[in-house]
Amino acid sequence: MPETTFDVFRYQPDTSDEAYRQKYELEHGEEMTLLDAILRLQNEQDGTLAVRYSCRSAICGSCACRADGKTVLACMTQVEDLKEQNGGQPVRVDPIGNFKPIKDLVVDMEPFWSKFKSVKPYLIPDGDPPERERIVSKEAMQKIYNESKCVLCAACYSECNSLAADSDFVGPAAFAWGFRFAADERDGQRKQRAKLYSGEHGIWDCTRCMYCNERCPKGVDPRDAIEKLGGIAFQEGLGMRDAGGRHAKAFLISLRTGGKLNETLLVPLTQPIKAPFDLPFALKMISKGKAPSPIPHKIKRLDEVKRIIKNVKETI
Amino acid sequence: MHTHDVVVVGAGLAGMRAAIAAHEAGVDVALVTKVHPVRSHSGAAQGGINAALGNATDDSTDNHTFDTVKGSDYLGDQDAIEILCGDAPGEIIQLEHWGAVFSRHETTGKIAQRPFGGAGFPRTCYAADLTGLVILHTLYTVCVKYDIPCYEEYFVTELIQDDHGGCAGVIAYDMVHGTVEAIGGKAVVLATGGAGRVYAPSTNSHSSTGDGMSLALRAGVPLKDMEFMQFHPTTLSPSGVLVTEGARGEGGILLNKDGDRFMSKYAPNKLELASRDVVSRAEATEIMEGRGIDGSVLLDLRHLGRDKIMERLPQIRELAMAFAGVDPIDAPIPIRPGAHYHMGGVHVDSWGAAPHMPGLFAAGECACVSVHGANRLGGNSLLEAVVFGARTGSAAAGFAQDFNGRGVQATPEHGVAYEAQLRELLERTDGPRQYEIRDELADMMQVKVGVFRTGSELAEAKVKVEELREKFKGVVVDDKGKTFNQSLIHVIETGFLLDLADTMITGAVARTESRGAHSRTDFLERDDENWMKHTLAYLEDDQIRLDYSEVTFTKFEPQVRTY
Amino acid sequence: MARKFAYYPGCVAEFSSKELNSTTKALAPLLDIDLLPMPAATCCGAGDVAEAKPNLYLTLNVRILSQAEAMGCDIMTICNVCTLNLRRANKLVKEDPRLLESVNEELVKAGARPYEGTKEVTHLLWYISTEEGLSLLERQGPKGLNGLRVAPYYGCQLLRPSSVMGFEDPDQPQSLERLIVALGGEVADYDAKSRCCGFPILLARENTALKESHVALSQARDAGAECMVTPCPLCHLAMDAYQRKAEAVNGEVYNMPVLHLPQLLGLALGLDNKIMDFKRHMVSVDPVLSVVGGQPALAGRA
Repeated sequence: MPETTFDVFRYQPDTSDEAYRQKYELEHGEEMTLLDAILRLQNEQDGTLAVRYSCRSAICGSCACRADGKTVLACMTQVEDLKEQNGGQPVRVDPIGNFKPIKDLVVDMEPFWSKFKSVKPYLIPDGDPPERERIVSKEAMQKIYNESKCVLCAACYSECNSLAADSDFVGPAAFAWGFRFAADERDGQRKQRAKLYSGEHGIWDCTRCMYCNERCPKGVDPRDAIEKLGGIAFQEGLGMRDAGGRHAKAFLISLRTGGKLNETLLVPLTQPIKAPFDLPFALKMISKGKAPSPIPHKIKRLDEVKRIIKNVKETI
Repeated sequence: MHTHDVVVVGAGLAGMRAAIAAHEAGVDVALVTKVHPVRSHSGAAQGGINAALGNATDDSTDNHTFDTVKGSDYLGDQDAIEILCGDAPGEIIQLEHWGAVFSRHETTGKIAQRPFGGAGFPRTCYAADLTGLVILHTLYTVCVKYDIPCYEEYFVTELIQDDHGGCAGVIAYDMVHGTVEAIGGKAVVLATGGAGRVYAPSTNSHSSTGDGMSLALRAGVPLKDMEFMQFHPTTLSPSGVLVTEGARGEGGILLNKDGDRFMSKYAPNKLELASRDVVSRAEATEIMEGRGIDGSVLLDLRHLGRDKIMERLPQIRELAMAFAGVDPIDAPIPIRPGAHYHMGGVHVDSWGAAPHMPGLFAAGECACVSVHGANRLGGNSLLEAVVFGARTGSAAAGFAQDFNGRGVQATPEHGVAYEAQLRELLERTDGPRQYEIRDELADMMQVKVGVFRTGSELAEAKVKVEELREKFKGVVVDDKGKTFNQSLIHVIETGFLLDLADTMITGAVARTESRGAHSRTDFLERDDENWMKHTLAYLEDDQIRLDYSEVTFTKFEPQVRTY
Repeated sequence: MARKFAYYPGCVAEFSSKELNSTTKALAPLLDIDLLPMPAATCCGAGDVAEAKPNLYLTLNVRILSQAEAMGCDIMTICNVCTLNLRRANKLVKEDPRLLESVNEELVKAGARPYEGTKEVTHLLWYISTEEGLSLLERQGPKGLNGLRVAPYYGCQLLRPSSVMGFEDPDQPQSLERLIVALGGEVADYDAKSRCCGFPILLARENTALKESHVALSQARDAGAECMVTPCPLCHLAMDAYQRKAEAVNGEVYNMPVLHLPQLLGLALGLDNKIMDFKRHMVSVDPVLSVVGGQPALAGRA
C-alpha cells in the first residue's frame, strides 16, 4: 500500500494569528484523489483541518486548491500522479492563491463573488420575450458553450499574474461570464457590456500570462474569452477609449502602413497624455539606441496586406 | 436577529426557483444555504429536463402524464402529476427566456429534445450533458439580478415553531463565524435536496445529507414514502459518480460479460430506456448471477462515434476518463446501480404546503408531493424542482401576505437555547466519531436496503439503525473551534442521516410488496389491494411510527407495468 | 549541411532590440543553421491584433506560414509572442480544414499564396536545447561561461498554453537550465521563472506591469544570480529597459543584467562582443563580461 506525506498549509485563527505548515502521513490505495486523502485526514487524524468540497465530481467548483504549487480541483487529482510528477516528495497542499485564508484551505471568496456580480452576469434582453422559446441556431448557441462550462471554482484567479499585481483586476472567470452574455444573441447589451468591461481593472488589464487557460479544469479558456471581449470592444467602436485599445490600434495602423510594428507610433498613441511626461526615460532609451527609426520600414508585397486588411471581416 | 416574509432553506434549483417566485410576488424573501448556491448538488444533474414541447416529435402533456404515472408504478398522485406535466412547457420556456443555454435543434433552432427512460416520446430538453449546471447557473443569475439576500454557508439546525404549531423561522449556524442566529419568517420553504449519503456509494455530493427532511421530521411533520430510494443504473465504480441516462438516450447500450445486450430479457420493448428501477434490477440480477465483470456491467458508447460523444456527452467522457480510466470513444464504461434519488420526502400537498404545520413548505427532492410515486423518470426531477419550486414559492408568498397580524414569532431566545445545546456537544471528549457511525450506516444500507430487499435483512437493518442512533447520542466533535467547524457540521449531518435511514427502513419493513424501486425478494408482486397507499413516517418519542394516506387518481387506472 | 529555416525575428528584434537580431544571425553558422530572410512577412500582430481583429490575425499569420512553405522550410523564431501567435494559427488551421479553406480564400483574393498546412514553427531555444542541439554545442569545443550564475527566465508565452506550445512541461521547464549547464554556467534557480514580465500591459498599465516584473527580478537576485537570460525580446525590454522603473516603483535594487538567449550562446562560444552590442542594454552587462573573461573573437566566423 502506498504511503504519502502531505505538507499542508494551516491557518487556525481560533488559536493563532500565524499561518504554519503541518505534515501528515497517510497509507492509501493506488487510486486515491487528493480530496479523498484530505477528507480521510480530517476524519481519522485531525478534525480541525478545513477544506471546502461537495460533489467530488468536478462540477460544483468547491475544492480548488494548490497541489505542489499548481492549482487543481482536489477531487480530480490523483495523489499517485502528484508523487510521480514531484519525484516522490511530500505533496504540498495550499489554498488557492490571491485570496485571504479563512481557515486552512478555505479562503475568503467575497472578492471573487463581487467581481462576478460586477459584470452583470444575467441576461438583459431587448424588449418582451416571445410566447415560446427564442429561436437560436445551434451554431450561435455553440459560440458561448465553452464559457457556459465555467463552474466558478476560481482556479483561474489562483494563478492570475495580473491579479497578483493588482488585486482589483476583475479577473478571468468574471470575464468568461461577461463574454457568455455579450456574445449571447438574446442579450441586448453587447455595446454596454463592452464598455463596462473595458474600464479600469478590466479586460485591458489582462497581462496575457495564459495561466488561466492552462489551469482551468473545465477547458473554459478564460483568456480566450477576454480576447474575444477585446474584439467586441473594437467592433463596438470602443477601441480608442482605453490605452489598451489604442495599443492595439497602433498595431493595426502599423500593419497597414508598413507591415511591421511602427514603434515610433506605439508609445504616443497608447499614452498620449502620459508619455510626454516620461521624458527622462525616453531620453535614456534614445541614448541606448532604442529610438526607432523615423522612417518606417516597409515589407515587400505590402499590397497583399492592404487588401487583406480591407477584405477580411470580423465575425465575433 | 433577521426576519423576512419567506425564508427558503437550500439554494439549489427548487430553492432558488421558489425564492424567485416569491420575489416576483412582491414579498421579502431570503435564501439560507450551507454551501454557496452554485455549489448545490442540482448542478451535478446531467441529462435533461422533461417537457412536452413537441420540438422533436409530436407530443402532449397527457402523454407525459401517462408516462410519469406509469413510471411511478401508479403510486404517484395524478392530480399533482398533471400539474407537473402541464406546467412543464411554460417552465422550460421561462428558463430559456432567462438565458438558459439549452442545446438547439439542428435545423429549427428550437430547444432540442432527446429520448429518455420510460418516455413514449423524446421530450428531454438538455444542455449537452450539463443540464443541471446550466439551469442552476441560470437561476443564480436571476437571483443576482433581483439581488435576493442569501445567507451563504449558514447551516439550518432546527425549525422554529410558534405557539400555534406553525412554523416561525429557522435556527441557523453561521459556519464562517461559529455563531447561532434565529432567522424569523412568516413562511419557511425547505428545499434541501436528497439524502443519498445514507448509502455508500451514491451519486450524491457530500452535502446531500437530507437536512430539510430531518428538520421537518424532528418538528413533528411526517415524511412520505421514504422506503422508495432510486438506484440509478449507470454509476461509475467504485466512486459512484453519475453517468447520465442521456448516454442511453443517445443510443448507448448495456452489455454483460458475455457481450449480450441483456435488457432484451427484462424490457423487450424499451430495452435500455425502460424506467430506472427496471434497468437497475436487471443489472443487479446480471451481476448477482455471475454475468458481471468485477461487480459491474458495461455501458457501450463506441458506436455513437467521436463527434456525437464530443457534442452531446463531453462531460461524462471526462468523468469516465478521470474516475474509471476509460475513454468511452474507445472502450465501454464499467457501471453499476448506485443510490441516486429520493422519491420520498416531506409530506406536502400540490402547493408544497405541509398540512401538519402551517407556514412550512417544501419543494424539490426533499419534498414528496407525490409526483414520482414509487419510481421517478429521468428528466422529471429537474422539472419537479422548477415547477414545484415556482408553485411553492408563490404559495409561500401568498401565505406570508395573508399572514395574520401576530407578526413573526421567532425570537433571539430561540437561538440562545440552541447555542447552549451546541456548547454541551462540543465539550464532550469521550465517545464515538461521526464518520465511524456514518460509514457503518451507509455500508449497512447498501447491503440490506439496496436494490433487492428481503424481510429478514430489513429486520436486521432496523435493529442496526436503532443501535447506531443510540450510539450517536454520545458522539464527539473533534474540532472545538468557532471558525468554519466542519467537524460539527458533519456530526449534525450524520444525526440527520440516521433519522432518515430509520424512516426508510421502517417503511421498507412494513411494505410487503414490490413496487417501483422498492423490490422485495420475499414479496415479488405489486399488491394494489393492500398497498396502493402512501407511507407516512412520524418521529415520536424518538421512535418511528407509521401511518398511511390515499393516492389520488384522476385519469389513469393502475395497470400491469412492463417495458 | 546546415539546416535551413525561414527566419522570423519579429519586429522588436529588428528595431529596439536589434542586438538580438545581429547576435542571432552571427550565431547561425555556429549552430549549423541557415536563417533565410522573409522580406514579405508582416508583424505577427502580438496579442493585440489577435484580440482586436481575430480573423485578420489568423489570415496574416497563415500568410507568414505560407511564405515559409513556399521557401520549403519550417519557421524559426526568437520571440515568445511570435512563437505563440504563429503556432496558434498553425494549430487552428491544421485542425479545421474548413477554416483553412476560408483563410486561403482570403489569401488568394488578396494575391497571396494559399497555405497547405505542412510547416512547423520552432523557437531557437527549442532547437538548441534538445539532445541533438546540446551535442552540437558540445562539438563546438570548450565553453566560456566560466561558472557564470544565470537565472533562467522563460516568461509566459513560450510555455503556455501547453496545448499550443507543448515543447516542455510548463510547470517544470528545463530547456534553459540544460543550456546554461552545457555552456559552462551555473543555474540560479527560483520559483518565478515562468511568471509574466508584464510586457503586454507595460504601456497601458505600467504600474501593474512593474509589480509583475518585480517578482522574477527579486527572486533571481535573491537566488544569487549574476544575470538573467530570456528567450524573448519583449521580456527583455520589460526586464532590462524597464528595470530601473521597476526598482523605483517597488522600492528595490536588482542590478540584474539581462541577456538575450543568443547572447548567452554567443558569450559561451566566443562571439565578438561588438556584434552582441551589449551597449544597447539599459542595465550594464559589464559584470557578466568580467566573470566570463576575455575570450578572443572566433576570427572568420563572426
